[in-house]
Amino acid sequence: MERIVLVGKPNCGKSLLFNQLTGLRQKVANFPGVTVELKTGQFNQFEVVDFPGTYSLHSLSKDEEIAVEKLNLAVDDHETKLVVCVLDAARLERSLVFALQVQALARRNNKAVVFVLNMIDEVERYGLQIDADALQAELGAPVYALSAKTLQGVSEFKNALPELVAQTTVPDALTIQLGEQTKFIERARQLNAAYGIRSDVVLKNQNRIDRFLLNNVLGGVAFLGIMFFLFQSIFTWAQPLMDGTEAAIGWIASTVTGWLGAGMAADFLNDAIFGGVGAFLVFVPQIMVLTLIIGILEDSGYLARAALICHKPLSLFGLSGRSFIPYLSGHACAIPAIMAARTIESPRKRLITMLTIPLMSCSARLPVYALLVAVLIPSDATFLGVFDLQGAAFFGLYFFGIVMALVVSTLMNLFTRKRHELNDMPFILELPSYRLPHWKPLLQRVLNSGVQFIKRAAPVIFIVSLCLWTLGYFPQGAGLEHSLLGKIGHFIEPIFEPLGLDWRYGVAIMMSFLAREVFVGALGTMFGMSGAEENIAGLAAQIQADGLSLGAGIGLLLFYVVALQCVATVAMLRAETGKSRIAWGLYVGYGVLAYCIAALAAHII
Amino acid sequence: MKTLWDLAANQSAVVDTIDTQLTTSVISRLEEMGFSEGQCVLCIRRSPFKGPLVVQIGDCVYSLEQSVADKINLALAS
Ligand SMILES: Nc1nc2c(ncn2[C@@H]2O[C@H](COP(=O)(O)OP(=O)(O)O)[C@@H](O)[C@H]2O)c(=O)[nH]1
Repeated sequence: MERIVLVGKPNCGKSLLFNQLTGLRQKVANFPGVTVELKTGQFNQFEVVDFPGTYSLHSLSKDEEIAVEKLNLAVDDHETKLVVCVLDAARLERSLVFALQVQALARRNNKAVVFVLNMIDEVERYGLQIDADALQAELGAPVYALSAKTLQGVSEFKNALPELVAQTTVPDALTIQLGEQTKFIERARQLNAAYGIRSDVVLKNQNRIDRFLLNNVLGGVAFLGIMFFLFQSIFTWAQPLMDGTEAAIGWIASTVTGWLGAGMAADFLNDAIFGGVGAFLVFVPQIMVLTLIIGILEDSGYLARAALICHKPLSLFGLSGRSFIPYLSGHACAIPAIMAARTIESPRKRLITMLTIPLMSCSARLPVYALLVAVLIPSDATFLGVFDLQGAAFFGLYFFGIVMALVVSTLMNLFTRKRHELNDMPFILELPSYRLPHWKPLLQRVLNSGVQFIKRAAPVIFIVSLCLWTLGYFPQGAGLEHSLLGKIGHFIEPIFEPLGLDWRYGVAIMMSFLAREVFVGALGTMFGMSGAEENIAGLAAQIQADGLSLGAGIGLLLFYVVALQCVATVAMLRAETGKSRIAWGLYVGYGVLAYCIAALAAHII
Repeated sequence: MKTLWDLAANQSAVVDTIDTQLTTSVISRLEEMGFSEGQCVLCIRRSPFKGPLVVQIGDCVYSLEQSVADKINLALAS
């Protein structure tokens, strides 16, 4: 299929133009370990490929290197017929530097180039104009002025595309060769002086808003407000959707198993498929809501400001200002948080951020915390006479997770510093204009996040779910206590002894590898209670009567703060880092750390 | 020598050279972003506690941390 390649500097409106050309059917190609994402869609009979926004053909990081390499390959490919360079009409100079480089690259490969002067609506809003015809003559390639937002000029561009693709001779106007670095910069400056609009006009609005949003006091308040809103929305908006999904899965499960009648097949479907895999689908709405909000923050331009505000404090722990949003999101779910870490400029800091995100207390830990806190602390106890002690304990657990993450990241930073100092990306951040986000790229992103999660995590979850179910189910009819899993639990009881826990807890911990919240239901089963998830207080009373020492209980709580008991997170880490070694190593590492902390707590208290 | 890091809020200056302590790829990226000799740069904001500063150069606004900003030398006059 004939291919059109779309390139441009970040924030030039390339994603929106891509979406306007291709509609919603897109494919996303990811490359393991890097953030490079190539989006492919269809426009008429052509394949359109959207390349990541870049400032230059000279790469700074591994990610950029791969993006540039892919671009080189694509421009060289004989299927590629046309390279579209998207320019931000309001920032002609900056967007031309990269666009001119691409033009030179295309010319070397004998490929046609067309320039899109995007955001023309903004230029006109200032009451200004850009002489596209004269610019076209200077550039030696067609220039189309349009706005991907208001759609002005877009249909003309669409109509012209087939002809542009079909052209066989490439006009030869450009005289700068690839490699003549500074000439591109000079030429861009020259063209901007002749055709561009004045920068103070463009930046006036943005700087006015920044005076407020980056103000030491007001900006801080706004930041806290926005982050509080983000945090709240994950829980309050996502909750009904999650409940809905859960109810839907439950309904399908009961309908299907109803047809089958009782028996092993029904048990398998009910517990392994609907119970195990289904429990994961419940997280999809949460992941999508979180992606939506992060997307809004990014497209509106606020994400860059948030990174700026957080940079200094987080850099003390070896993190970037851009680590803040992933950390915050990690309190809902590690999956979207790990995906959000893609915006971090330095590969090393991105890795450190991803590896410490699982220490944030995600919502799957809530039921576990709720159960154990109810067991250990009487509900009427107060802390310092005013605070509810149970509430204070919850706060303490969240806080412990954050402290652990910062400690671990500081250590990781210290140990990896020497090796990577040289090829690390420094913190240079463009503050884009504030804009109202467009729903199309947002919707695309939200759908993608759900699909990616399912694609990456589902296979592993299915396998783990299958194994756990088999171990817990056979010998048939024996119940969990006498199942293979129960036997293993008895066998490895000595491992849990230093934690002050018996085999029942061991089995529940093993079961909860699928997802932490499974712990509650599994422990309930061990205590002869079904549906413990709905009756946490009842189970807590039973455990109290059974006698769980304070030290062991606190140890168990801390274990759940630290341990990476989530197969979906492991799968995601593997996909994002490109290395199973890192993902499973982290699982074992946090497991050992959690175990030691729990043993310590059981001993001291 | 005065560097970009010494620039107070609302002050402007002219970029001179970039310290070669930075790697060549970072230097060329900075040049592509507009930080090349003779360009006028305006400091928009300084953050407390030595946080990143915000500057306007050409048609863009950037935020740079200290380790980069103090490698960008400014011309003495203006
Ligand atoms: N006013 C206006 N805004 C646009 C236009 N094209 C894109 N935007 C907005 O600019 C922001 C950045 O666009 P995006 O497509 O994410 O840029 P990318 O980084 O190049 O992919 C988004 O908020 C878009 O809605 C346009 O032609 N006019």
